[in-house]
Order: sequence, then structure tokens, then C-alpha cells
Amino acid sequence: MDKETLFQEISHALVEFEVEKVAELAEDALKLNIPAFETITGGLIPGMNEVSRLFEEEEYFLPEVLMCSDAFNAGLDVVNPYLDKSSLEKPIKMVIGVVEGDTHDIGKNLVRILSGASGFEVYDLGRDVPLDQFIQKAEELECDMICMSTLMTTTMDGMKTVIDRLKERNIRDKYKVLIGGGPISQTFCDKIGADLYANDASSAVRQAKDLMGRA
Amino acid sequence: MLIREDILTSKERVLALLTGKPLDRIICMPIVTTNTAHLIGKTVKEFQLDGKVMAEAHIAAFKKYNYDLIYLFTNCSYVAEAMGAELDYSEDEPANCEVPIINSREDLSKLKVAEKNDGQFPVFYEALEILNKEVGDDVFISVCFSGPVSTAATLRGVEAFARDTYTDQELCHTLLRMATDSCKNLIREIASYGAMPIILEPIASGSLFSPKMFDKIAFPYIKELVDLAHELQALIPLHICGKTHKIVDKMTDTGADVISLDKCDLALAREKVAGRALILGNIDPANELLFGPVEEIHKVCIEAIDTMQGYTPAFILSTGCETANKVPFEHIQAMLDVARSHGLYEYKVD
Repeated sequence: MDKETLFQEISHALVEFEVEKVAELAEDALKLNIPAFETITGGLIPGMNEVSRLFEEEEYFLPEVLMCSDAFNAGLDVVNPYLDKSSLEKPIKMVIGVVEGDTHDIGKNLVRILSGASGFEVYDLGRDVPLDQFIQKAEELECDMICMSTLMTTTMDGMKTVIDRLKERNIRDKYKVLIGGGPISQTFCDKIGADLYANDASSAVRQAKDLMGRA
Repeated sequence: MLIREDILTSKERVLALLTGKPLDRIICMPIVTTNTAHLIGKTVKEFQLDGKVMAEAHIAAFKKYNYDLIYLFTNCSYVAEAMGAELDYSEDEPANCEVPIINSREDLSKLKVAEKNDGQFPVFYEALEILNKEVGDDVFISVCFSGPVSTAATLRGVEAFARDTYTDQELCHTLLRMATDSCKNLIREIASYGAMPIILEPIASGSLFSPKMFDKIAFPYIKELVDLAHELQALIPLHICGKTHKIVDKMTDTGADVISLDKCDLALAREKVAGRALILGNIDPANELLFGPVEEIHKVCIEAIDTMQGYTPAFILSTGCETANKVPFEHIQAMLDVARSHGLYEYKVD
């Protein structure tokens, strides 16, 4: 099988969430001496991009995205040990978490899954994250983005607090701040001075890439 | 804005609607729940655990707004709690289930079908008794509870449950079966107090599951609840938060009497539900209602009423989801003000 066909099969199996088949095909790629990097960028990531598209078009939903990400990870696990890290473009780094007071994390997890699958380096702070931790971790890891979500109106003010604290420390411009979640709207985003609001995980990742100048 | 005084009591108004008699104004049922605790200086935690507090808070809110339905509700996990899940109660937030009780099939032995006195169910009965006595002649009372999908997903954890819909359908349906039976036991009690059971299915939302999956994991179980309520001569609304534009017809096919909508275009809902159920909704509680200003709330409420003008059986002005603690009380009042001023052209006054 030639490389292109193999990559197409990987993408296809991933979109159909055939976990074992993706792993087998990734093994095949190794046997054909295809560099791990190419299998990721040529087979696995295009597969997840298709998943993102299907999600955005409301063909795929939470269960399907989770199943596809399992397939993505199964493929990644196979090729990762052979990955030449120097071949990678410097990834966009971000911290992500659900703001303090809220434990709903489905949306956040979807963004984590899809951005990770798009080549972002994602540090997941989890849920109910103390506000200072967003900044502390972003500084420590030299991140490009701070990504916050919440499903509750009671906690959404926390997002503004994080932005205010960035301003107080004169580091607001170091980060792009991305917000999302049930009650969040473009109005709210404008009001608190965040850089980006997205209403679903897939467009969040797409717009985050745009914002960072990565097509 | 000319705000007219109500002529009918809330109960008379709803009864008039149900029997085809003239109304004095559009029916308005903003989803006001736990935040009522703040009207009497209590916390959400006290509200969730004490039927007297729950009743007093709702009486205060009803006297303030005179809206057309009292919604008893505490949190989305209380049916799961009655089945065996442990909830975290913080001081002024609705309790939630942090750690799922079902991590494998073996854990099923930790669960039971909730009977009428399990968990915090009795808090509701105590509140219902007081409310029936105090305001029962003036207003209908409802109890909202999480339906089978939301309860099963709470027991299992939402992501694990979502995977199960593909990888372990048997476990999925076992949980749905037990959750449905628990909901049925609760519905029987709610109906015995003359209150209206309202199914909430935030997790069955079109934001999380496909319409196809809705058919498999939600529809048959919800329909069972609707059928039971009808056997008990109770009306039963179905509320689903999040996106519903792709499932609003399926929601109606369950036979629910009221389709309570959050993020769904009303014009589209009107087309899909027409003649089959009342539509209730869908002022966004986290947008205009949260931020105001009052003029903006007036505007979106009037738009909703105008979009639904002439809809049969009827449109009920309401919020798309519960009004959170942070929604200012005067913003809820603004909705009622619209109900008392706008749209009277179609609500004849005798």
C-alpha cells in the first residue's frame, strides 16, 4: 500500500472510530519506515480535522468525538515513541480549565481533545480551578493562550477576574484569552475584554489557530 | 409601558387556558427556583435540605411576581442521590455529584431504584404540603426532576456514559432502566400532591447527543414517564436545555404536554410542534436576563411573544433555563411587566 492510501485509511478508520484498526494501520506505517511525524500529520490529524468538521456540522456529537479521540490516541500511542521531536513546528501552548466554583467539564474536555489532536500542547488544569492557577501555570509553562470555560452564571465573573489580574501584572498582552461555556456569549466576551469567544469546541480550536496566525 | 393589573389569579388563568376560556394576559412562567432562597435570606443549601425553607422561599417569590407556575427544584442530581450517589452540598450553589458512583458493572450493586422516601425526596413533599395549604388555591405547583438520561449520566459520569452508548450499551440501558423506574416512583408522589411533574433532561440535549442517539437512549424512557403521568391524569412538560432544534419534533412525539425550550429558534419550534403541545420559552437567562438592561429584556420578550402570536395551543413566556442566583430580581420582574403589557391584543378581557 502506498503512503497516501495508508494515510487515507488511517483517517477513515479514525473517523469511523475503529480504535484497533487505527493502531494496526499505524503499525503498518512504522513497518513501511514512514516517519512517525508524517503518520501524525498525514493520517491522524487530518482524521481529527474531519471529526471537528463533523462536530461543527452537527453530524457528530459528544460520544462520537470521544470515540474518535480514543482512536486518535491509539494511533498516537503506536507512533509516538518513534517521533523525532525536532521535526515538529513549535506548538501552540495553552492552559485550559473550568473556573473556580464549577465542576462541569464536558465542553472543556472537548476543547482539550480537539486542540490536542490539532497539535496544540495542552495543559489541563481540570475543573473548579482557582483563578490564580490559570496565570501561575501559564507563566510557568510560557503558554500562548489561557482558555477558560464555565457552565454556570455564578462563576463566569471569575473569567473577568483572571483578565483583570493579568492587567494588574502588566502581562495581559502575553496571552490570548479564550472563553467558552453554556452561559458565555460574545457580549460577555466583549464586556470582559477576552480575545476570543467560541460557542463550540471545534470552532474554538479553529479560531484559536487563526488567532495565533496558524492556518 | 402600560402595565395592566391581573384580573385572574394564576391558577384561574392556567385553568382558563386549559379549558379554552378567555385570558387576561399571556401566561408567564419564568423558571424561578433555588434563587428564591435569597428573597428570604436563606442559602441554597438550606433550601435544598429543608422543605419549610423551600416552601417559604417560593411563597415569597410568588407573592412578589405573581407568575403562573411555582417550580420546585433543587439540583440536577437529586434523583441520582436517591438511587445511591453522593452529592456535594456547598453553601450557596446547587449540589452536584463530583464522583460518579458507577465505575464498572460491579458497582451496580451500590445502586437501587429510588423509592418515594429516598434521598432528599421528602423535602419536596414537605414543601408541597405547605405550598398547597398557603398558595395552592392561587397557583399551580410543579416539581422538576432530572429524567432518565441525565440521571444515568450522573451516576456513571457524563463522558463514560457517552462512551457507553457505543461500547457498553447494556450497562447504559441498565442504568436508564433503573433511573426511569426511580423517576416513575417520584412522579407518582408528585401527582398525589396534585403537583405537575416536569422532566428536565439537560444531558439529553442536542448539544451533546445526536438525534439518532436521542431515539435510542432518551425517547423510549421519556415516553414512559409521559405515559405514566397521563395515566395519573397529570400534565407533564419536558424541558431540555441547550440546543434542541434537531430534536424538538422528537420531544413532541413523546406526548409531553409542554415543550420547554432553551436554545431553539421559536419560529422553527412553532412549525414542528404546532397543534401538538404548548411551547414554553425561551428568554436566555444568561444573556439579557442576566445583564439587562431592563429595556433589552422587554425587547427580547416582546420579540418572542410576537414570533409566537396566534400559536396554538398556546405560547408561554418563560426563560430558556432556570434563572441563576445572579439574575437580578428586577430582571425577572421585567419579564412579568411585558406579560402584563404586551400581547394583550390576542388575550381578550371579558
